[in-house]
Amino acid sequence: MAIESAIVEYIAKMLPFAQQYQSLQLIIAAALVGLVILAIVVIFDYSFGWIERKLIARVHLRRGPTKVGLFGILQNAADVTKLLSKENIVPANANKVIMLSGIFLFAFLLMLAVQMLNMSSVFFSFSFSIAVLAVFAILSLLPILVFIVGWSTGNKFASISAQRSVILLVSFELSLLLAVAAVGFASGSFDFQGIVAAQANLPFAILMPIGFVVFFIAMLAEMERSPFDIREADSELVAGWLTDMSAPMYVVMLFVDYTRMFLGCSLIALLFLGGWNGPLLPGIVWFMIKVALLAAFIIVIRASTPRMRLDQALRFGWSVLLPLAIINLFWAYLLVNGII
Amino acid sequence: MVRLLKISREELRDTLGSKMKEGYSYLTYITAVDYVDHVQVLYFIEDLENSNSETIAVDLPADDLNIHSVIGLFHAADWYERELSEMFGINIYGRDCERLLLREWDGKVAPLRKSFVWNTNYETDANGDKN
Amino acid sequence: METKINIGPVHPATHGVLRLVVTLDGDTIKRVEPYIGYLHRGVEKLVETRMFMQSPSYMEKLDYVAPMSYDELYVSTIEAAMGIEVKERAKYLRMILLELQRIASHLLWLATTANDVGQWFTIYMWAFADRDRVLKLLEEATGARMFYVNMRLGGLNRDVPEQFGENAIKLMEYLDKRLPDYESFLEGNPVFLERMRGVGILKKSDAVKYGATGPVLRGSGIDYDARSNHSYYLYKELNFYASFETKGDCLARYKVRIKEIKTSINLVMSAVNKMPKGDALGMPIKLINPEPKNKEVLVRRELPRGESLMYLVADKQRPYRLGIRSPTFVNLSLTQHLPIGARIADLFPILASLDPVMGDSDR
Repeated sequence: MAIESAIVEYIAKMLPFAQQYQSLQLIIAAALVGLVILAIVVIFDYSFGWIERKLIARVHLRRGPTKVGLFGILQNAADVTKLLSKENIVPANANKVIMLSGIFLFAFLLMLAVQMLNMSSVFFSFSFSIAVLAVFAILSLLPILVFIVGWSTGNKFASISAQRSVILLVSFELSLLLAVAAVGFASGSFDFQGIVAAQANLPFAILMPIGFVVFFIAMLAEMERSPFDIREADSELVAGWLTDMSAPMYVVMLFVDYTRMFLGCSLIALLFLGGWNGPLLPGIVWFMIKVALLAAFIIVIRASTPRMRLDQALRFGWSVLLPLAIINLFWAYLLVNGII
Repeated sequence: MVRLLKISREELRDTLGSKMKEGYSYLTYITAVDYVDHVQVLYFIEDLENSNSETIAVDLPADDLNIHSVIGLFHAADWYERELSEMFGINIYGRDCERLLLREWDGKVAPLRKSFVWNTNYETDANGDKN
Repeated sequence: METKINIGPVHPATHGVLRLVVTLDGDTIKRVEPYIGYLHRGVEKLVETRMFMQSPSYMEKLDYVAPMSYDELYVSTIEAAMGIEVKERAKYLRMILLELQRIASHLLWLATTANDVGQWFTIYMWAFADRDRVLKLLEEATGARMFYVNMRLGGLNRDVPEQFGENAIKLMEYLDKRLPDYESFLEGNPVFLERMRGVGILKKSDAVKYGATGPVLRGSGIDYDARSNHSYYLYKELNFYASFETKGDCLARYKVRIKEIKTSINLVMSAVNKMPKGDALGMPIKLINPEPKNKEVLVRRELPRGESLMYLVADKQRPYRLGIRSPTFVNLSLTQHLPIGARIADLFPILASLDPVMGDSDR
């Protein structure tokens, strides 16, 4: 039983007069779950920030933040507070309306995608038969927004970075979706519940290793994490499409970036690592452990590899990743028909 | 201690050209010294394989600071010549020099000439003498 | 469509106040126009107003990444002008200190290069930590971490403490073990190799034509090093051989510098072992007889960034004219030629492979 219906029942019990307003109850229940998911995302984003600083510091042979809070856990809060307290300056030649609305639309779309995730067999705000497709539909909207925001800041670095970002995202999308198609094929479902249920015995990462690798790498590009952090490219493009973003907007974009990372890690966990399947512990805990481990792995990748050049990344995407994704599709066909 | 090969400015390019044929294909440095009555332009060239080096000196009279560019022979002379013309006020012809390289503040003074006096009003040297 | 972008003078990757105006066609570089001179301090004019031994500290600020090397070059120039012999122990000590300085400088170069190809600060932190160890050793020897002013006519300002040799050997052994870490971290990564290989190729003939110097020249297959070609001090006795690569791309220049670190480690070790006991102190600044024997002097040294050369015309007490050939100045002029046709992302590995220090270039 999903958590929403539990909430609906609870409301019905506590407030008998509300029974006539079925739809109101549903809305309240959905809003409650949505808020909880939002809280989880914020907590995760925050701890990603902390893990990133600590883990990378360890790779660097230093300690990372230690002073503010226990193990420096409040350092990010202090930093965000500082950034939020600054003046929001919009450059003179920026298109203010498009820039600001683009940023918030970006954040909003990502939050919408996150709401579609199912975090356990009972904890989700909505579950429908094409949830996976809906998430990827939203993800494929993002390049347009990146381009619009980058272009509207009126900075050349930002617009070069935005162009790069679009090219990269568009060319890795195909491999990404082919890997998802293979998952849908193998599980016979485009619903997170169905996909996770299909992995009850063995996760798809073991059944379709090629697909897992393809999806992971394409997801790295989709999240624009190293070695595909081409749009940020701090050594050449200053801060990429965020060059002219002043502090408060930058905080929003940081939040958006970490949310993107959360979304990516969740998708990898759900589609290939068996989602909330796992012994002993409750499903949601397993889900979070998997997401956190994936995030840690991605952070270690960031600490260890240089950035790819755009043309190299594209060549890799089209000539290595795409053929592998197609092979994986055949593999899934064989898998479904029980040939392997 | 340094053996200078003194030539006139008309011979400069021919000499450098023949030296280049002898193997001195690398231009290390171009600089100048202002001897008030004349300015000496120095070309340091190098034979990389046999590690021989040669210093060629051209004396320019102070009232006629013109010298032909050697950029056609040694491309490395590009920035040195620009520096020379900015710092010593030497007119280097036979090349195009679109903008100032090191100085963007003024096109008039030549800081490394002796006529340009470093303002040392408030500084004294080791003996305590005012400069 | 052509775009012009302005990189610098304040930019995360320009290693100081270098400004490049880059004309792009899409992602491809059509034209690069370097603007230098933001750090021009008129040192060549300034030394004319100072007595000979007042100037070493100005010289150190030329190349603030490897200050000792300019200090030594200047003092050697004055020594040559005055006809002063360097004491035997001081020769060894100078060589050790210079090679330590070269290691420190190359480690800083390694740090920034890794950063410029987008390696997020790992090599940077490691190399800086190791550079700090080298600087500590230099501090032990000279009393200062960055600007030493340790050279005196005929010797050094102070002799090294007793345990210095031991500590130096210990540090060199540590660095010898540490270097393979860097190499496997970078060269074991296909992304790094892809970013460096075949990027910014400088052909052998072009290297001579454009007057490239130091590791850039040696990366293009020319076996020229002032330490071996114009041997000074005791590099011959220590069997020094220049290291060079033939490919001429960024990877070759990277390899040359890594090899040079190894060579320097070996040089320091063997110099420490062979160093004679005795006196290494030079003349105190105030006691010198400022009467130059040679009027015109030319001294060349191999600095970490390339060959430098000082042409001194000596007056009675001060330099009449001091011409300084800076290695960065010539190497930076290559930015007009090397990145043409490369991608914008390649500009920074290319720039890093030239190892520019703007104080050195602008003087």
